[in-house]
Amino acid sequence: MLTKDLLRVTRAGGGYTPRFTENAALAARVLGVYQGHRGETRGALADALDDLEGEAEDFKLVRGFAKLLDRDAVFETQSAVRPERARELAFREGERLGVVTDAERETALERASETLDTTPDALADALYADLDARQVLVDFDPRWDADALVSQYNLSLAQTALFDAVELRVETSEPRDLVLAVKRLGLLYEIEKTENGRVVVLTGPDAVFRKTRRYGTRFARLLRSVVNAEEFRVEATIDDRGTERTMVLTDDDPLRPPGVEPVVDVSYDSDVERDFATRFESLDLDWALEREPDFLDAGDHVMIPDFAFTHRYGDVRVYFEIMGFWTPEYVEKKLAQLDATEENLVVAVDESLGVGEDIEARDHRVVTYAGTVRVKDVVDVLRDHEADIVADAAADLPDELTPDDDVLDLDAYADRLGVPVDAVEDRAFPEHELVGRTLVRPAVLETLADDIDAGQSLDEAEDALDDYGLTDASAVLARLGYRVEWDGLTGGTVREK
Amino acid sequence: MPVALAYEDGTIRIDGRHDSLDGLPFVERDDRTDTYRAPAYRYPDLRAHLETFDVPVEDSVPDWERISVRSDYVLRDYQRDALDAWTDARRRGVVELPTGSGKTVLGIKAIESVDQSALVVVPTVDLLVQWRDELDAEFDCDVGQLGGGTQELEPVTVSTYDSAYLRADELGDHFGLVVYDECHHLGGEGFREIARFSAAPARLGLTATFERPDHAHETVETLVGDVVYRLSPDDLAGDHLAEYAVKRVDVPLTDEERERYDDAQGTFVEYLRTSNLSFSSGSDYMELVKRSGSDPRAREALLAKQEARRIVSESENKIRELERILDRHRGDRIIVFTASTDLVYRLSERFLLPAITHETNTAERRDFLDAFRDGTYSRIVTANVLDEGVDVPDANVAVVLAGSGSEREFTQRLGRVLRPKDDGGRALLYELVSADTAEENVADRRR
Repeated sequence: MLTKDLLRVTRAGGGYTPRFTENAALAARVLGVYQGHRGETRGALADALDDLEGEAEDFKLVRGFAKLLDRDAVFETQSAVRPERARELAFREGERLGVVTDAERETALERASETLDTTPDALADALYADLDARQVLVDFDPRWDADALVSQYNLSLAQTALFDAVELRVETSEPRDLVLAVKRLGLLYEIEKTENGRVVVLTGPDAVFRKTRRYGTRFARLLRSVVNAEEFRVEATIDDRGTERTMVLTDDDPLRPPGVEPVVDVSYDSDVERDFATRFESLDLDWALEREPDFLDAGDHVMIPDFAFTHRYGDVRVYFEIMGFWTPEYVEKKLAQLDATEENLVVAVDESLGVGEDIEARDHRVVTYAGTVRVKDVVDVLRDHEADIVADAAADLPDELTPDDDVLDLDAYADRLGVPVDAVEDRAFPEHELVGRTLVRPAVLETLADDIDAGQSLDEAEDALDDYGLTDASAVLARLGYRVEWDGLTGGTVREK
Repeated sequence: MPVALAYEDGTIRIDGRHDSLDGLPFVERDDRTDTYRAPAYRYPDLRAHLETFDVPVEDSVPDWERISVRSDYVLRDYQRDALDAWTDARRRGVVELPTGSGKTVLGIKAIESVDQSALVVVPTVDLLVQWRDELDAEFDCDVGQLGGGTQELEPVTVSTYDSAYLRADELGDHFGLVVYDECHHLGGEGFREIARFSAAPARLGLTATFERPDHAHETVETLVGDVVYRLSPDDLAGDHLAEYAVKRVDVPLTDEERERYDDAQGTFVEYLRTSNLSFSSGSDYMELVKRSGSDPRAREALLAKQEARRIVSESENKIRELERILDRHRGDRIIVFTASTDLVYRLSERFLLPAITHETNTAERRDFLDAFRDGTYSRIVTANVLDEGVDVPDANVAVVLAGSGSEREFTQRLGRVLRPKDDGGRALLYELVSADTAEENVADRRR
């Protein structure tokens, strides 16, 4: 992070935007100044940087780069005599003579240097050789090249802007990392539902009484972990010398720390979770599985369930939490969270925990497991929700359905209507007949009855059916009063039933 | 159902409901935690309120402990009156006493009288060292220190305002008494959080100059308590404090300095003429600093102003004049104040004077101050860091090379030489001012 005096922001249009830079050429020059001053004093280095400031677009940019490079600069006191010792002796002699004139000074230095077996000049040079400005740059091994320095500068600049933040609103694709960081930093959060999803609003305990910048440095540290997520959006309320302004930072800003790629791979907390996700996704259900989907408001805390199931048709979201064997405190905390949330939750509980009843008492569904979670148990719970979805969807459908198609697959029709197929199945189709899983107009069946005769090969019959897009040959043939006499594995002849 | 009180990061968290809480002006509902909350400094008021309503309370706030310490100090009459007034005000409030009248002793006696873990907050590292030494010597217990490169917490701890600010959330429930030395610092927007976040029922503010032009002392009264006792330097002069006299010496710039000064000042004035800054107030200076970030001309003007100041404060003739003063006062005890650390080092190297600046490490500054006190050194040079409260006894000559025009700073510095002298002679304060420069106005303003 930088110091506040090095902050560069624009307030155009009432906003508050860090002035990010792409000036790698200037970064390279600042690097060069450091490299060229190995063996020289900090004062000389500072003068050279001053000169560069005069030429640069913005002197604060030069100072910002320098501030970051200072971390890798090693300065040392270089003198013939240890400065503290030199001062002690020189001041004692100075006191003895009550130095006022130059001549008196010379005498005092001579006497002091005799004790140390050195020269008066060396002693005089040593007096303040330990002052910051007189220390010597002995080593400079920068961790960043010019491009990385620019990246680091941009991140540091945004962090510095956050020093004056009184509140942060964060959205991120890595909510769990966010919550861990928030806890580590001792901040408080609220979950707010918005059109775009859930936003975590961050403040500190004292914020309930007044807007305070006290938590600014913590916000700045938090940003360091937020920018690791692939997607994020941070909206900060800035107290800009009494005026409130809004600063927005997103993954579009140049905020990636140098050398760090965003986390893209899904990571699982435990084998139990990974195992469950793999097996669930191999089933082809109407439920989509999402990992660490949301922040749920759970009273004092925020809760991030392991998974959410979202149904393809229904506006239903069921959260799923796997409670492994853990400490009693963990279980206690989880139960408190479950207590405080009002969402649909399924909780898989390790049998050995023995808290199933406690959870059911909190109106959540429980499946117990030993070793691995049985997918079937979870699917059973989802089925119950599905029944509700079917009922809801069916309620919206008219009793009689009259699609324009001559031939229409029932599943495709349900898909088109955006409802589960169960909801379509028990409706009436006055203009169609249901043959197998396919809706067919009676006129089509009549034509087919003329086209197909006993004794035809199955291939010929199937060609006729194909013309109407009918794929379920055996069902249609059965409806028309035929059967197939199989000849080998694929070929056959159409016969009267 | 009882109401549970807990300290949480500078606030009192109140679990459990009670109807009377909803009407309390200092209690807020906190939906984030589904509790009530009060600022920590309101803890005694909250307890008193719950008592009035007979609400059963489970209180886990106090994390302070009983201590038993005694010092050998005997209070002077006015110190005794001040302590009594504070005790009568339910151990809250501010005592205003002139520099050199023994505020440290009063603080120590307050700690004895409360007998609970106590924190002393001080503005400078010098005061930190001084308080710590004093407490170590008087009390038979470990004394903690926060600041000056050390972070040790003990039942009796001395802290700088900076360290206390940084750790305010965590310190607030550790002490039953907090003593704020030079408590006008609490008026600052950041530092006031030290007191806001503290649940300590007993609070004592000590200061020589309480009232501030920005009215920040009103905030201090809210947090620490009203002024319970006040004594002016005039009340004490001739009694406990020495008489003093001020000598103002006009020092001309050398021709070469005059040329550079006029040049720099000209650049600055020219910028003012074409901008709409008048520099009649401090905020204009802030504005110039702000503009200098994006406007090269403003930056040039700012650098020119700084250069002009430097020429004046480090004027060669001032050093000559100092040479004359040092010569005239051989055998006296002299403190030299300067406006810049650069000048401190120049003078230190030129006259071989022990020097103290913000860069001086704790051990060395303690050595120098001790050596000055015990007479090993009779002269010392410093850059404003001895402004407040630091106990430098028996100096009888002070020389100020270019000070800033703040009234408070000036009286604090005068206080430095207001020490009873053995031979009863008057103390002397020299002020070296550059003739025909902006610095003169500053010196005039504080008369």
